Amino acid sequence: MNRNVDLEQEGIVVKKSCCYFCHQNCGVLAYVKDGKVIAIEGDPEFPTNTGGLCCRGNIALLHLDHPDRINYPLKRVGKKGEGKWEQIPWDQAISEIAAKLAAIRDEFGSEAVATAGGTQRTDDWARRRFMNLFGSPNGFHNSHLCWIPTFMIETAICGWSPFEIDLGASRCLVLWGQNPGVSSLPEMHHLTEFREKGLKIMVIDPRFTETAAKCDMWLPLRPGSDLALILAWLNVILYEGLYNADFVENCCVGFGELFAHVEQFTPEWAAPLTWLTADQIRESARMYAMNTPGNIQWGPCVDQLGRVSGAAIHARALLRAVTGNLDVPGSDLLTGPSREYITDEEMEGNEFLPEEQKAKQIGSDKFKLLTWPGYSKIAEATKKIWGKAPTAEWMCEAHPPSVFRAIISGDPYPVKALLVSATNPVNSFGESKVVLEALRKVEFMVTCEYWMTPTAALSDYVLPIAGALERPTITSSYGCTDFLLASQRAIQPMYERRNDYNFWKDLGVAMGQGEHWPWETVEDAYFAKIEPLGYGTENYDEFVEWYRFHFPERQYQKYLNQGFATPSGKVELYSSTLKDLGYPPMPEYVGPVENEIDHPELAKEYPLVLTTGYGFMPFHHSEHFNLRSVRYINHEPHFQINPKTAKEYGIKENDWVWIETQRGRIKQRADVTQAVSPKVIVTERGWWFPEREINEPVLGGCMESNTNVLTSTRDEDCDPISGTWANRGLLCKIYKVDGKEGK
Amino acid sequence: MARYAMVMDTRACIGCQSCTVACRTHNNLPVDMMYNPVTTVGPTGVFPDLHMVHIPLICMHCENTPCVDACPTGASQRRDDGIVFVEEKKCVSCKACVMACPYGARVPNHEKGTVQKCDFCMDRVDKGNVPRCVQTCHQKARVFGDLDDPNGEVSKLVNGNHVVRLLGELGTEPYVFYILGLEAQIR
Repeated sequence: MNRNVDLEQEGIVVKKSCCYFCHQNCGVLAYVKDGKVIAIEGDPEFPTNTGGLCCRGNIALLHLDHPDRINYPLKRVGKKGEGKWEQIPWDQAISEIAAKLAAIRDEFGSEAVATAGGTQRTDDWARRRFMNLFGSPNGFHNSHLCWIPTFMIETAICGWSPFEIDLGASRCLVLWGQNPGVSSLPEMHHLTEFREKGLKIMVIDPRFTETAAKCDMWLPLRPGSDLALILAWLNVILYEGLYNADFVENCCVGFGELFAHVEQFTPEWAAPLTWLTADQIRESARMYAMNTPGNIQWGPCVDQLGRVSGAAIHARALLRAVTGNLDVPGSDLLTGPSREYITDEEMEGNEFLPEEQKAKQIGSDKFKLLTWPGYSKIAEATKKIWGKAPTAEWMCEAHPPSVFRAIISGDPYPVKALLVSATNPVNSFGESKVVLEALRKVEFMVTCEYWMTPTAALSDYVLPIAGALERPTITSSYGCTDFLLASQRAIQPMYERRNDYNFWKDLGVAMGQGEHWPWETVEDAYFAKIEPLGYGTENYDEFVEWYRFHFPERQYQKYLNQGFATPSGKVELYSSTLKDLGYPPMPEYVGPVENEIDHPELAKEYPLVLTTGYGFMPFHHSEHFNLRSVRYINHEPHFQINPKTAKEYGIKENDWVWIETQRGRIKQRADVTQAVSPKVIVTERGWWFPEREINEPVLGGCMESNTNVLTSTRDEDCDPISGTWANRGLLCKIYKVDGKEGK
Repeated sequence: MARYAMVMDTRACIGCQSCTVACRTHNNLPVDMMYNPVTTVGPTGVFPDLHMVHIPLICMHCENTPCVDACPTGASQRRDDGIVFVEEKKCVSCKACVMACPYGARVPNHEKGTVQKCDFCMDRVDKGNVPRCVQTCHQKARVFGDLDDPNGEVSKLVNGNHVVRLLGELGTEPYVFYILGLEAQIR
């Protein structure tokens, strides 16, 4: 919106679009004239953002037509990574890619083609549908680091995973490793509102964050020690009699086993592991258990602990169960999938993938829950109760680090092609050195993108993709809730950009899948999804124009009638699903991936505790570094270090410092702050530098300040249940960047 | 005649800088200019006993206007509704107002050769809308309205809370009020 733009001129059409720069998908009103968006503002009638837009949302018009955007299909003409491109027509790109994929399939099998996905902002069901029809089980995603382990483990225990929190009637909200003050502003607004009305908010986070500054209790635990804290909470709640005896007796199985199991995990046991006092642990456990109904809101951190994640998520699910904070007003709600509209899972075409191909999914022999063995069990149980299964895209994926290693080694079999959509793997997946080696080595790579990222620069084809204002959007939280919010396309894609849906469809049609892609446009596909709702509209745009949302009437305590979607029909405190897959049926304690107690020798060399990749304004993952209008807010990468530690190392504010783990080192500038413990180092995520040469060997400096260089994806550091890798609770050392190495 | 005022509720502000960017977009400002920075104070204290507060800054739209008084050409003006603005055509960029403003709220635009500042988005206000920074704030940490409207949110907040005006001792009588949360008062 610009004060020089006259919004009262004739010929303006207002479209109900949305912002696309994070998962909140805030409602936007786009003022369109002659096919151009001339102004945007937050939609005051959109239920989540009610007119608000963050700093990213406000620069949507600069993003729409930024000079660095990729606007035409590009084909590599020089050596890989050399930066020599030829502009070609879409038809040629699609037919050449199809021919190459067919050749790889003929020589190495369908499983030799993998796809990498990123945020929910793409139509991942379409990617999945293409892969299922093509015959490859090797789609993968950043989702292992973001809620999916939580969703699947909670579903194994409780028959679904709460994605909706009933804040209005809640008395206590626990934000576990989550900072809505920078990552989900619409939610933060509601928290502020409800806190004024008496909601108690607890933040569990090693950092003093924007949200921690506004809460009632902040627990600065040792990074990666979440499991010890949760087990001790269970101990307090069970042994102080703070559990919900009725719910446990009537709706759970395995209470006796759990009661015996957690006896050992006293607050005194957990105190040295968590760096909290036993009193803090008791007090916080009581705050949650005695202020019911309450919620534990998911944050990504617990999904990012590596080998600890599964047990921690498991134990956290038990907290809700023993306090009865499930599906009652004010608690975490088990909404289930929508029974009224067609879910993403039903659009994916999982029935097309033959069993023998499912069996080849990379990582499914090691990490069983988020791959076909576990997903099949979960889907069977949920179909019995809900009639539907969770979305397979995200929930049933090849193990990303194992795919990258397969590209490098050919073990367990060759992976020759990688189709990348909405992610920049070298900055967003773990152990960047391994990822970069794989991207350099993979025989054939196609990237669908907005910008020339370091990953795109290594591709054979880079395809221009339509952004928020150029495409419609449906949000139903990964197909895991029963409501939906819908937005229109403000304008048709500019230049030769296309929707990612059209990419997968066109590629599918070129490979003989035509009969399975009946929807010409993505609006047609969306309308097919929502038509069963019976709103009586003729097309998708009409639905958005007149309704825009679908919120079914909330039903509580559905378990009284239908039970829980587990094998026993009850909440399984002693989990038969995990046991059947070969995992402990109750959460066993394991220490953080690297810690001073289990690894004293390592701690001598790497004396500080590292937690990587916190979200910060104004960026989202590795995005938006190209945009000067937001980049000025945070021009260079920074890590947080306590003043006491900084003094000890002779580090001053803004000094460039090397941060090193066993995997490698990166440099970021020092943000000397009391926000972290003297023993803790916290790094920013995502950093690369679009202003530098994007081609080999510089590649936008993508390894220089990229915190994923420090993370670990070794099999033994990954969570055995879900396969998620270790971003948090690692050990590091730091030292000042030599003057000659500085910038 | 209205008396326009803004209330900054620091209990709600989270320092996300949406307002800063929205303002820059609305006013088409170059990257090195901003009308309303958000400053973060803290975390103060010693880990783990910490406090942090964010203070959005802006032109204070004072009743007693050192900037207007200092302006030799009449470019800096104050409307009857209290909005202080610069009439660009009359500005010769002598920067006397920049020196005079105790809040540092005036910024020279080197491209245009003028001094500019927040004018409460008077283009929007005159059409019945709130300033852009208010409209974009997720946290509703900024409230804008007529101080003389007893039922308006602004007068309710100003009269119902402990509010402070920045550098009140100078007697400029700003029309921007701050509600300081506990976090700020502890400092």
